[in-house]
Amino acid sequence: MTTSSPAPRAPTIRDTPTLVLSANLLLAVTAMGASAQSVQLQRQLDDLTDYYALPASNRRDHRRDRFRSLAQQWRAETQWLSSTTAIAMNPAYQAIIGMGAEALPLILEDLRQNSGHWYWALKAISNEDPVVPRDRGSVKKMKSAWLRWGETKGLVRA
Amino acid sequence: MKFQDLVRAMQVPFPNLTEANSRPTSPYDEGYNCIAWAAEDTYYWWWPDPMGQHYWPPGVQREETIEAFVQAYGLRGYSERSDATLERSKQKIAIYADGNDKPTHAARQLHDGWWASKLGPQIDIEHEFGALDGPAYGTVAVILARPSR
Repeated sequence: MTTSSPAPRAPTIRDTPTLVLSANLLLAVTAMGASAQSVQLQRQLDDLTDYYALPASNRRDHRRDRFRSLAQQWRAETQWLSSTTAIAMNPAYQAIIGMGAEALPLILEDLRQNSGHWYWALKAISNEDPVVPRDRGSVKKMKSAWLRWGETKGLVRA
Repeated sequence: MKFQDLVRAMQVPFPNLTEANSRPTSPYDEGYNCIAWAAEDTYYWWWPDPMGQHYWPPGVQREETIEAFVQAYGLRGYSERSDATLERSKQKIAIYADGNDKPTHAARQLHDGWWASKLGPQIDIEHEFGALDGPAYGTVAVILARPSR
């Protein structure tokens, strides 16, 4: 009987000596009584390490799940608000902006399916605004302009 | 969702709202907000957002202050400071603000003394004065009036 050896594991960020060293250093600092900022940095590093330890296909699902969860939270927390600023300053919305360019196709797909005031996030991430001045505030026209923009950029299917 | 279920779901943002002091008038529509609805506009979402994305009347300061909202409604003839009493000769708009005097909401008085409100992108309702006071909108900061048209 022959036994096959396990397939070689693809290198991950855990294999990067500098990051492992940084993580260990942060752990040591935390153990000595670290500042809140250090603890926060540690958490972010842990998240980052876990994220990049995933295969690329799972990373896409991870992003999508995270986006859906944040979008759901944002809608629930801002559904009664008229203030565009308050709607955009919601922590979940800001976290989506923090996802950067990788959030653009997810936002555009959500905009197409569910609408919603995604325009602040789209402008903040892309640094573009396809809405002509006379259409500002006309939500249907803003939605159309951004979906056309997304199609042109190949970020959302036509 | 039935209105009674919606009212129950709104108890945290609007603790004074009940089925007895409010009634729904139109369904969800994200095309316009309360600020527009108070000005009888159902085409634009009004807000003086710093990104310049939504409609704000030309010539009015684009800032989130009560004064800027007073100026905006002033362009529609609401230039007199007033109170919540029903006066046949006047139409009235109430501007709500939070504890930092930041405008949050606006409502328009109806012929029977109740007020018409659009709840963000959600439904339109009619309600008694004070029914929307609470954590979501704060309280009424200013009431403006114009002669009835």
